[in-house]
Amino acid sequence: MKKGKIGIWAIVLIVIAVIAIWFIGARNNFVRMDEQVAGQWSQVETAYQRRMDLVNQLVSTVQGDANYERGTLEAVIKARSEASSVQLTGEDLTEEKIAAFQKAQDNLQSAMNRAITLTVERYPELHATEAFQNLMTAVEGSENRISVERQKFNDSVKKYNQAIRLFPGSIVANLCGFEKKGYFTSSEGAEKAPEIQFDL
Amino acid sequence: MLHRSCILVASLLMAVAPLMAQNEDADVQELRNELGLNDEQTEQSSPLPAQPSFQVMDTVFPIGWIPEKTQRLVNDYAGLLTSEQRATLEQRLVAFDDSTSNQVMVLIVPDLGGDEIAAFTQHVWDTWGVGDKKYNNGVIIVVKPKNASRGQVRIQTGYGLEGALPDIFCSKIIRNEMIPHFQQNDYYGGIVAALDVILPVCAGEYNEERYDDSETGGLLALIIFFVIVIVFVLIFSGRHSNFTDSSGMPPYFGSSMGRSSGSWGSFTGGSFGGGSFGGGGFGGGFGGFGGGFSGGGGASGSW
Repeated sequence: MKKGKIGIWAIVLIVIAVIAIWFIGARNNFVRMDEQVAGQWSQVETAYQRRMDLVNQLVSTVQGDANYERGTLEAVIKARSEASSVQLTGEDLTEEKIAAFQKAQDNLQSAMNRAITLTVERYPELHATEAFQNLMTAVEGSENRISVERQKFNDSVKKYNQAIRLFPGSIVANLCGFEKKGYFTSSEGAEKAPEIQFDL
Repeated sequence: MLHRSCILVASLLMAVAPLMAQNEDADVQELRNELGLNDEQTEQSSPLPAQPSFQVMDTVFPIGWIPEKTQRLVNDYAGLLTSEQRATLEQRLVAFDDSTSNQVMVLIVPDLGGDEIAAFTQHVWDTWGVGDKKYNNGVIIVVKPKNASRGQVRIQTGYGLEGALPDIFCSKIIRNEMIPHFQQNDYYGGIVAALDVILPVCAGEYNEERYDDSETGGLLALIIFFVIVIVFVLIFSGRHSNFTDSSGMPPYFGSSMGRSSGSWGSFTGGSFGGGSFGGGGFGGGFGGFGGGFSGGGGASGSW
């Protein structure tokens, strides 16, 4: 009789220990993924920062032409200051905040593209200059980096979201307060950088 | 005793080596099948440089196609290079990888699978993992020759080489070194001219001799190590002797242990792909792609 009771207690203890170990393991796994998402976010920010830094180069290249329409450049500068005002840290990557971040950045992108397209149309002699070719290479490079880092960010978020929502890990995630993170969506209406053919 | 285990190791090597050679052949054959080529077409080496065979040139790949990972640094899916040119380039790039650890890969495709060249290159990079995992010092040069559609070229850099090869620098290489040759249909000349600029710059950034510790070599060393251990255990299990583990080990033991631990690192890192036995660690062949990353740096051009 007494022996049987001890056996049951032993089994209960073992079950509790196994659950505790699994719980800790699952939680640590979520923390790791969370860190990965935050790390990837900083890569995304770096890529976007690169584009914001390009605005100065754009302005100085285009302003070389005295008659350049000031309005177009002012729109770019305004869009940049708006974009740089929306900053996110790795901790608050909710869907709404990412959407707001993306919207500000997309505005900057289309303002820059408009300025470049206008330049090409109105000042064909400018677009043959070395400065302009370098600018276009820099724009292309920054757009590529943004799309690559965004893709990598989305991949890491997908992994994280899946992990915290799948049963039974979802119980651990709920108890420890791991929340779903937002993705970048493919921006509707966002223009692609104008592709400029150089006469070689 | 040592003598006996040496014989064992040698016989093991002899058993494994032909298997690897076969694997390489299968790899090449697979590529040919994929492209719908038979042997006569690929083996013919015309004396004229870069005379494209139009059957291959006009291949259109399905949307989203990227080449399957191989164990070569020069991959010509358009049949633009003669086999000598391909071998010369491969040899040069493998030697460069061995001596500086920078992996520069040349990929020639007749079609980009409906993608933009930058997205295509990134996709290839994510799948193949060019460059050292620690340094991310890889470069992919993609050439899409002018056929029914315009010609396109891209030089893409890994994270680690973005400083040495800034986008504008890559763009200048494309405009000044590559496209002028490509316009003359001299694809080999354009690629060589670009490499003449790129390789010294890469070597200036990373210049570390690569140890001959390809996954194959490491794994083999590990297998040999265990076989020797088993042999020793069998030999010494019955009787006691004063021949202890540490004092009696042949010097090979130390090095093989060090090597195997090094390559296990990359093994767990996921770079031990299915085809890793292809290039083999023997005879100074290509040791395999290192699993490096790229963030989309570099430049593209078209003509």
